[in-house]
Amino acid sequence: MVDLNVFTTTTIYASVLALLSLGITLIYMTTRVFNFAHPRLSLVAAYAAATFMAIYARSAHLKPNLEPAETSIGYVTVPFPASFYLVGVVAATVFGVVAALVEYYAILKPLLRRGADYLKLMIATLAYDFILMAVLFLYNTHRAVKSALSNPLRLTPTSLSMTAYDVSIVTEGGTFIAGMFIFSAALAVALAAALYLLLYRTTLGVKMRASIENPPLAEVLGINVERIYAIAWILSGATAGLAGYIMLFATSAGSLKPISATSPADEIVVSAFAGSIVGGVNSIFGSIAGGLLIGYAETYVTQLLQAITGYPEMFQYARVVSMAIVALTLLFAPSGLAGLLRSPRARRLLSRIPVPGRARGGGR
Amino acid sequence: MEEPIIVVDKVNAGYEKLQTLFDVSLEIPRGKITVIVGPNGAGKSTLLKTLFGLTKVYSGRITFEGRDITRLPPHERAKLGMAFIFQLNNVFAELTVKENLRLAGHDLPASVLEERIREVFETFPRLRERLDQKAGTMSGGERQMLAMAIGMIRKPKVFLIDEPTAGLAPKLAREVLENVRKLNEQGYTIVLVEQNVKAGLEIGDKGVLVVSGRIAFDGPAAELLARKDLAKMYLGIS
Repeated sequence: MVDLNVFTTTTIYASVLALLSLGITLIYMTTRVFNFAHPRLSLVAAYAAATFMAIYARSAHLKPNLEPAETSIGYVTVPFPASFYLVGVVAATVFGVVAALVEYYAILKPLLRRGADYLKLMIATLAYDFILMAVLFLYNTHRAVKSALSNPLRLTPTSLSMTAYDVSIVTEGGTFIAGMFIFSAALAVALAAALYLLLYRTTLGVKMRASIENPPLAEVLGINVERIYAIAWILSGATAGLAGYIMLFATSAGSLKPISATSPADEIVVSAFAGSIVGGVNSIFGSIAGGLLIGYAETYVTQLLQAITGYPEMFQYARVVSMAIVALTLLFAPSGLAGLLRSPRARRLLSRIPVPGRARGGGR
Repeated sequence: MEEPIIVVDKVNAGYEKLQTLFDVSLEIPRGKITVIVGPNGAGKSTLLKTLFGLTKVYSGRITFEGRDITRLPPHERAKLGMAFIFQLNNVFAELTVKENLRLAGHDLPASVLEERIREVFETFPRLRERLDQKAGTMSGGERQMLAMAIGMIRKPKVFLIDEPTAGLAPKLAREVLENVRKLNEQGYTIVLVEQNVKAGLEIGDKGVLVVSGRIAFDGPAAELLARKDLAKMYLGIS
C-alpha cells in the first residue's frame, strides 16, 4: 500500500530534481559544461523569494490566516492571498535568471573567449558555487535581513522554511494534500509541454536545436548562436529559481532540508546530476524523466531495501541509490533514458502506437 | 573592370595563438569562380574561414562590397549575403531535409521561403524525393547537394565552399564540381577550396596558390594550371 503522504512529498522532491536536472542538461547541451553551481542558484532564488514575500506581506499588512475554510473538496487553508505567492514565484524566477546570467557573462564567457577547456570551465563553476555560498552567508547573517524575514513571517534566515504558509487541503476522508504537491507536479508537466512546443513548434526552437547540434553551421546560416546560448542560460536560471521556490515550501520532502547558505544545494547536487546523467545528458526530455526517476527511486527503492533488510536507518543511504542508478546507466545504457527510447527495439514498439497526424509525411 | 566583391588586405590570422596566415592580400572577383589550392596544411581552409570570420584576425582588413567586415561575427556576415559550406558536418543530421531548408531561410517571410525551396528543387530535384528524410541518413553526395541547397535558400551573393569533394568517389566528386559550376552559371560568386587541383582549376576562373600561409600565386586559373614548376613543387602534379 502506497502511503499518500510519502507519495506527495516524494513527488515534490522529484519535481525539484526534474527542474534541476533539466537546467543542468540545458547548460551542458549548449555551453558544454557541467554547472556545479546550479543547485546553489536555487538557494539564491529561495532567499530572494522569501525576502520579497516578507517585504510584501509587511507592506500590505498581511497576516497569515491559518484557519481552514470548509469547501466542497474539504477543508482548505490559504494562509495568504494569491498575490503573495506570485511575488515569490516572480522573485525566485528573476533572481535565478540573474544568478545564472552573471555566471555565464561574468565568468564562463570570458573564459571561453580565452579558449578555456571544459575542465577549467567546470572548476570555474565550482568557484562560482563557493562565491554564491559566501554571498548567502553574508546575506543571511545580516541584521537587516534577519529583521525583514522575522516580521511578519517569523522566518529564521539560517534555516529558512515556509512550509507552514503553504496552501493545504484536508479532504472529507482526512487526507492531507499540500498545495506544493499540486503546484510542483503541474509545473513539471506544464514545463515539459511548453518545452516541447518551444523546441518543435517554433522557429526559435528549431534554431535552438540547430545551435545545439551544430553551432558553426548554425552560425554561418545567420543564427546568433551566442544569443541562443544566453536563452538556454535564462531558461536554466528560471527553472533553478522555480526549484528554489518549491524548496522553500517543501522542507520535509524527500531529502530536502530547510534552506541555508549550504543546504539543500550541497546534498541535492548529487541527485540533480544523477537525474541529468540518467536522462542521457544530451536530452532535454530525458533530463526531466531522469530527475523524476531519481526522485522517486531515492524514496521507494530505499523503502524497499529497508523492508528487505530490516535496517531502520536505510533512508540515510538514499543517495547511494541514485549513485547506483548512475553507475548502472553508465555501464549498460550510457546514452541514458533518451538513448533507450531511440534504440531500434523501442522505435519499433513506439511506431505501433497510433498518433494522430503522424501518418502525414512520416510514412516513409 | 568591376569592383571585386571581397578584398583581403594584409591579413594575419589563425586560431587563437597559432598564426596560420601571413600578410595575405587577395581580391575575389564578382560573378567568377575563384579556386584556392595548395599543399596540405598550407592554410587554404583557414583563408576561406577567415573570409567568413571563423578564425581570429590579428591585423589587416577584409571588406565585402566595400564594407569593412573584419570584426563582424559570422551570423552578421551571413545576413550581408555570404554563405559558407563546410567540408564536413555541413547539414543538420538530426533534422529532416525540409527542416534543414526551412532553418536556412529562418528569417525569410514564409511565402518567399516556400518559393525559394521550390527553386532549389529545380536545381536539385533529388532533394524533393528526400523531403522527410533525416539528413544524417543520406549519402555523401546527397548531403553535399543539401549543403549547397541550404546555402542557396538565402540567395547569397557569394558562396565560400570548403573542399566539397573530399572523401567522395571520383564520379560523385565530378558531379559535385559540376553543381558548383551550375551555381556559378546562376550568377553566384564562388570561392572554392579544392584538394583535387586539376578538376578544381578546370572549372575556375581565378586560381590562388597558398603555401605556408602565404599567397604564392594569384592569377587566372588556366595560367596556374599551366605552371609546371608550381604544380610539381606544391601540388603533386607532374
